[in-house]
Amino acid sequence: MDVKRILGLLFLAVLPAFAQLDLSGVWADRITEDSYERSGGPPLGDYQGIPLNDAGRMKADSHDHEEWSLPEFQCRPHPGPYQWRALGAVRISEEIDPVSRELTAFHFEYLRSMERPIWMDGRPHPPEYALHTWSGFSTGKWVGNMLVITTTHLKGAYLRRNGASFSDKATMMEYITRHGDYLLVTMIVTDPVWLEEPFIQTTNYELDPHTTLSYYPCTVSEENISKAVPHFLPGQNPNLGADDIPQVGARGGKESTYPEFRLKLQAGTAKEPHSGLAAKMAPSRFDLPPTADSEIKVLPVQGNVYMLIGAGGNITASIGRDGILLVDSGTAAMSTKVMAKVLELATALTSSPMPNHCVGLHCPGTPYGWTSPSLNAIISSPAPPKPIRYIINTSVDADHTGGNERLSALPADAKIVGVTFPPVGIAPGATIIAHENVLTRMSQPGPGEKAAPVNAQPSDTYHSDSYKLSEFFNGEGIRIIHQPAAHTDGDSMVFFRYSDVISAGDILNTDSYPVIDVAKGGTIQGVLDGLNKILDIAIPEFRSQGGTLVIPGHGRLCDTGDLANYRNMVAIMRDRIQDLVNKGMTLEQVKAAKPTMDYDGLYGSDTGPWTTSMFIEAAYKTLKKQGKGK
Amino acid sequence: MRKILLLVFAGALMSGGTAYAHHSLAATYHADQEVKLDGKIIDFLFRNPHSFLQIEAPDEKGVMQRWSLEWRSSGQLGQQGIKRDTLKVGDEVVVTINPSRTPADHRGALKTLHRKSDGFGWGDKPGDTIE
Repeated sequence: MDVKRILGLLFLAVLPAFAQLDLSGVWADRITEDSYERSGGPPLGDYQGIPLNDAGRMKADSHDHEEWSLPEFQCRPHPGPYQWRALGAVRISEEIDPVSRELTAFHFEYLRSMERPIWMDGRPHPPEYALHTWSGFSTGKWVGNMLVITTTHLKGAYLRRNGASFSDKATMMEYITRHGDYLLVTMIVTDPVWLEEPFIQTTNYELDPHTTLSYYPCTVSEENISKAVPHFLPGQNPNLGADDIPQVGARGGKESTYPEFRLKLQAGTAKEPHSGLAAKMAPSRFDLPPTADSEIKVLPVQGNVYMLIGAGGNITASIGRDGILLVDSGTAAMSTKVMAKVLELATALTSSPMPNHCVGLHCPGTPYGWTSPSLNAIISSPAPPKPIRYIINTSVDADHTGGNERLSALPADAKIVGVTFPPVGIAPGATIIAHENVLTRMSQPGPGEKAAPVNAQPSDTYHSDSYKLSEFFNGEGIRIIHQPAAHTDGDSMVFFRYSDVISAGDILNTDSYPVIDVAKGGTIQGVLDGLNKILDIAIPEFRSQGGTLVIPGHGRLCDTGDLANYRNMVAIMRDRIQDLVNKGMTLEQVKAAKPTMDYDGLYGSDTGPWTTSMFIEAAYKTLKKQGKGK
Repeated sequence: MRKILLLVFAGALMSGGTAYAHHSLAATYHADQEVKLDGKIIDFLFRNPHSFLQIEAPDEKGVMQRWSLEWRSSGQLGQQGIKRDTLKVGDEVVVTINPSRTPADHRGALKTLHRKSDGFGWGDKPGDTIE
């Protein structure tokens, strides 16, 4: 569909312009041409009208609808781009500033989705590494009497309830106009990963004061599906072509979105779609290594925990009254900038002059429990922040341990050091904790490698399944969990129990396929087990979203829904490559079969230190060694 | 015929003001197949987005299986007079289901239910089922 033509018509339709039309009320769906979507559900394999590219079609063809019965997906709400065609009404309300009477936000509520704010106050969209949600992050503006909404930060989910999907790289525009008691919603979804053209859809609603949105709790329960991730191997989906829709149309693609396609179908000249384009390859994170000009960015996560981006691997920081604990230390080259940023953050959080909110004799929280004439001077000169006391390494990688030496160094007169008090004559340093195998690899390097400096090596190690810090730090317990044979043989995940944050290390990288260092004991099965372990610990706040947050080794902040999407991908990749191994294929034959094609736009790379080819090779080797799977 | 049934369904939804769809039934179950099971209730999960009746009944080979039978949401069932205590563990029932597209999972979409002890039934009255 021609986007410019649609927008031009929409604009003409809304003239003459006057801003801030009232959209509030409950708008009911009137099931007409959209009954196909809103009723019992579409047939499997019918993608007509959706401009899927070849990768999107492969993704959709692998869909087994029992995926919806996975515990992480049973209460998954309809995502933003699907919601307009989902069953049920939408309630639109306005959030008005009581003083200025300016419109702060619209709030859209749907029967089975999340409350969705549309920010009208001019705020920017979050940085790319912030959390994605099922409804995305939306801002709106008026163009005449048309509300134009821009949505980013979507989680990957479905465009149609049969596997046709959009990725978390998708963005959505919505153009909403009111014509009396009717609402016209025009939605345009753009996805560089699975769509070859924008997907355009219009839907009508009617104002209905008699419709209400009922309370809609959701509970996950046992639904008798297998413990594996349900999907079909390429070419083995028995449900495709089972309905009475002409296959040439059911396969979707941009041609099927145009009215002329009907004529081609009637004339018998319509062709099976083939985008002719490989999915666009995402730039690898390794293509953009941190440089001297790079800046460290900070994302507040939850509770005591912050995420530092830009130092190589992500760094997790707990900052509070006990000092600073870091999970990973980035590259050596970025360590000076990391130190400056961490101290800046700690100063802002724990050591900044704060206004006195209490006057008089009963002021809890002030230095003496009461205010005195000297208090203003005291609060204007707080004590400096406490130092870095712990560094926990999630693996031996240089982009996670490179800053150890610089960041663990403490001033010679430091009053607070790590739990391992140094013997007399040894400079005090923060305690560096890691799995024993990390110490082994850093102190006894392989041929051609150099041992890490002693002060960069872990000072405390563990060799069991998990390890707990012996005391609360910044008011919470911290548990370190070992995942054997995953990214390497020395991987740790760190669970902040009160903040409810898990730092996953390279078991989770949202911007690449799993990095499996076979030479250091990594396996694809171990990565999958690690992801399932995190999912087992994590509890979403509501509808598979929020709650326990997960900081990946590289990439953006995640929650249960994101992790489930990534875990599913890893399980599908494992099963596909295992199937090819079972058939006796050589590595080159497996690569030629392109088992990753549908996900390459999200996680693949042709260049850099971790390419798609290397991922396939690592998975192939470890699965072949493991023997025949399912 | 199929279009007529869809319109009837759509009309029922509009008049009832309730919602059924969450995942796609057509994508999960064989809507054109029916299986009859004779068994005993072992659990009734009365909830959103779908209620589940868990029964123990033999499969076509006579092997006893635990079946997970998907039903309507708790709100929809409540509107039809079915409450949390309408069915009890141990009730002997005969049900018909649309079977799963994955037979090994032993699950299905509930079409009709009859309790042997008192003849209580669901699925035969207008609005009980979706065709």
